[in-house]
Amino acid sequence: MRTVGFLVNPIAGMGGAVGLSGTDGGVEEAVRRGAVPHAAVRAARTLSLLRDEDIAWCTCASPMGEDVLTGAGIDSYTVLYRPTVPTGAADTTAACRVFLAAGVDLIVFCGGDGTARDVFDAVGGEVPILGIPAGVKMYSAVFAVNPAAAADLVRRAGDIPCRDSEVMDVDEEAYRSGRLTARLYGYACVPFVPERIQGGKQVFEQQDEERAKDDIAAFITEIMLPETLYIIGAGSTTARVMERLGLAPTLLGVDAVVNAEIVASNADERTLLALLDEHPRAKIVVSPIGAQGFVLGRGNQQISPAVLRKAGLSNLIVVATPAKLAGTPLLYVDSGDAALDREVGDSMLVVSGYRMAQRKRVVHSE
Amino acid sequence: MQTKILLDEGEMPKRWYNIQADLPTPMDPPLHPATGKPMVPDDLRHIFPMELIRQEMSTERHIDIPGEVRDILTLWRPSPLYRARRLEAALKTPAKIYYKWEGVSPPGSHKPNSAIPQAYYNREAGIERLATETGAGQWGSSLAFATGLFDMECTVYMVRSSYDQKPYRKSMMQVYGAECIPSPSNKTRSGQAVLARDPDTPGSLGIAISEAVEDAAAHDNTNYALGSVLNHVCLHQTIIGQEAREQLAMVETYPDVIIGCVGGGTNFAGLTFPFAGDKMTGKHPETEIVAVEPAACPTLTKGLYAYDFGDVAGLTPMMRMFTLGHDFVPPAIHAGGLRYHGMSPLVSRLARDGVVRPVAYRQNEVFEAAVLFARTEGIIVAPEAAHAVKAAIDEALRCRETGDAKTILFNNSGHGNFDFSSYEAYFGGRLVDYEYPVELIKESLARLPATG
Repeated sequence: MRTVGFLVNPIAGMGGAVGLSGTDGGVEEAVRRGAVPHAAVRAARTLSLLRDEDIAWCTCASPMGEDVLTGAGIDSYTVLYRPTVPTGAADTTAACRVFLAAGVDLIVFCGGDGTARDVFDAVGGEVPILGIPAGVKMYSAVFAVNPAAAADLVRRAGDIPCRDSEVMDVDEEAYRSGRLTARLYGYACVPFVPERIQGGKQVFEQQDEERAKDDIAAFITEIMLPETLYIIGAGSTTARVMERLGLAPTLLGVDAVVNAEIVASNADERTLLALLDEHPRAKIVVSPIGAQGFVLGRGNQQISPAVLRKAGLSNLIVVATPAKLAGTPLLYVDSGDAALDREVGDSMLVVSGYRMAQRKRVVHSE
Repeated sequence: MQTKILLDEGEMPKRWYNIQADLPTPMDPPLHPATGKPMVPDDLRHIFPMELIRQEMSTERHIDIPGEVRDILTLWRPSPLYRARRLEAALKTPAKIYYKWEGVSPPGSHKPNSAIPQAYYNREAGIERLATETGAGQWGSSLAFATGLFDMECTVYMVRSSYDQKPYRKSMMQVYGAECIPSPSNKTRSGQAVLARDPDTPGSLGIAISEAVEDAAAHDNTNYALGSVLNHVCLHQTIIGQEAREQLAMVETYPDVIIGCVGGGTNFAGLTFPFAGDKMTGKHPETEIVAVEPAACPTLTKGLYAYDFGDVAGLTPMMRMFTLGHDFVPPAIHAGGLRYHGMSPLVSRLARDGVVRPVAYRQNEVFEAAVLFARTEGIIVAPEAAHAVKAAIDEALRCRETGDAKTILFNNSGHGNFDFSSYEAYFGGRLVDYEYPVELIKESLARLPATG
């Protein structure tokens, strides 16, 4: 029998229905505008599909889980945490710590980007996590596509692999005033169903993430030129390129490399522009970030329009594993400079293996 | 209004056409993998019969097809030539589209055109068993069919992933009486070595070739057979183009554009070489000959013309050909028959000399073309043949723009009745548009694939 920790952020998604862009710090305003909790409804749809599964449920007292479990017809569970009402981020992290102490195999939460960030704060990569989507924004890649898909993943967790999935930190104040600043916050471990890419003639398991990252890194390091500045963007795929060079990557930031040596770690925009003055030959290596697959404009803000223009768009190398690309049918660019975004064109080549790439359609966030 | 143009059995060609006779200069010789010196016939005697080695190196223009081979070929040959009127109407093109339909052979593709003579010459040389590899199963089932007719045994090393996923190709080989073994196997040292390293490996064509060659070399009564790439395989396939030329002559036409898909290159060679000979000898100098390859494995459009090995392990002779490097592993596109790092040296030579023009397409556009073809002409083509369909459609659409009433001929090399999982993936939106990142690779010229 598997042990699963379950919690709901009862206020998640309340902002969306009433025109707020998130509920963080705005729950009173949301309630004043007439918002009703709907995370519980979403979570109940997942749980009702898991009623007959052999799962030992650990949860929080109402309104953070127990009510949803009983509502879904699950009456055997253990309440491990009692939140203060109204609930807050501290309750999410505290509950997760209690789940970890109880030795759960998986933590399932229902919420949005803010909830994902709080769960990740407590859990890190210690056990797999999975989000039932209910938030206003879901830029993090830790959510199932819908409640039914979440149930399927919970049912199969343990038998299916996990992959590194981005947790994004979205500044809600800025978001509500019309600016999206999404920063890569970390990588959680999330179960996923590998889609067998079945060839009519040859069938390969192409979704071995670690092997794919190695293949990509082997190719990129093979084509690296001397006396050339390499700006290596955030993410676990680009990090593998650094590791292959024997260098320590900044997982959540941007590094700069010349002749296989680090010239700047966790570089900001100004540092990158200064380096580009010194090194007229430059390449930028980035990976799509987040659930939507943003190539530019999310998680790599240091690689600004000014940096991109100075290096030249033709020197942008995009890399991603086949599994990541399978989950993001379209790629997005939103550099903040619409003219630059247009220059990217309608499709781009994404390196997805050793000497191999995929042609992907690009959407401009105008 | 005639749809099918048919030849009588008596009108089937009696000779194969050897394009080596019409090349302006001789082919560069294959090189011995160990010494780097040009191969001599004796180097190949332990795996091929002398007659096939002679054909491989021959520069005679025509080579007689043995009577016994012709008798068997009449089981499905001459194959029909179709006028694709419904496709033309759908495209609103003034072009005339003809296609040679090779899916009428019992195993369903052009492959038995060479499997039959290869089995024949081996039996004549006293060989009792043939060993071969198959990736997709087209060649394996064709050789199984051929050896059965000559009372020979046949051992097919089938890439394990295909063996597991395409059970009906395996069943077909069993029906024809061949032994089909998933590769890597415990039967050979090379297979054992791979399994010791990686028991769960899906296998590869490179490994399967090593197993079949080792099997043939280790047994006196056993030879090896290859279904593509080599000159003698191209030779055997020229029966396709010779028939097509006759059939078009019956309706008093000669093609302006001739199209075939290329993996190892032999179905393409089969249709186009007789016309390429006409082109090189000045009879029809304006004919356009188009080789269609996948963007994921763009050997002719993006590869280097150089000496390289034919297999991953570097056991075969080095041949001068277009290559992406023998260590290049093409991604798992659905046209498995086109997943080959190299190319027939003869087809390569014609491409280098400008006699043949290569083009490359991505998977989704190729399947889109195949679906249009199925919905107009009825035939559900193999993913490989779909590449030729796509190029023919594009040419016909260009004719619509220019108003040019060109005659287009393409080789429809096989049916897709074992490929429905590929069509399913296409309709499910799960086909990946792989593309060889040539610009990135060329950036570091010093590290281009080592090609001997």
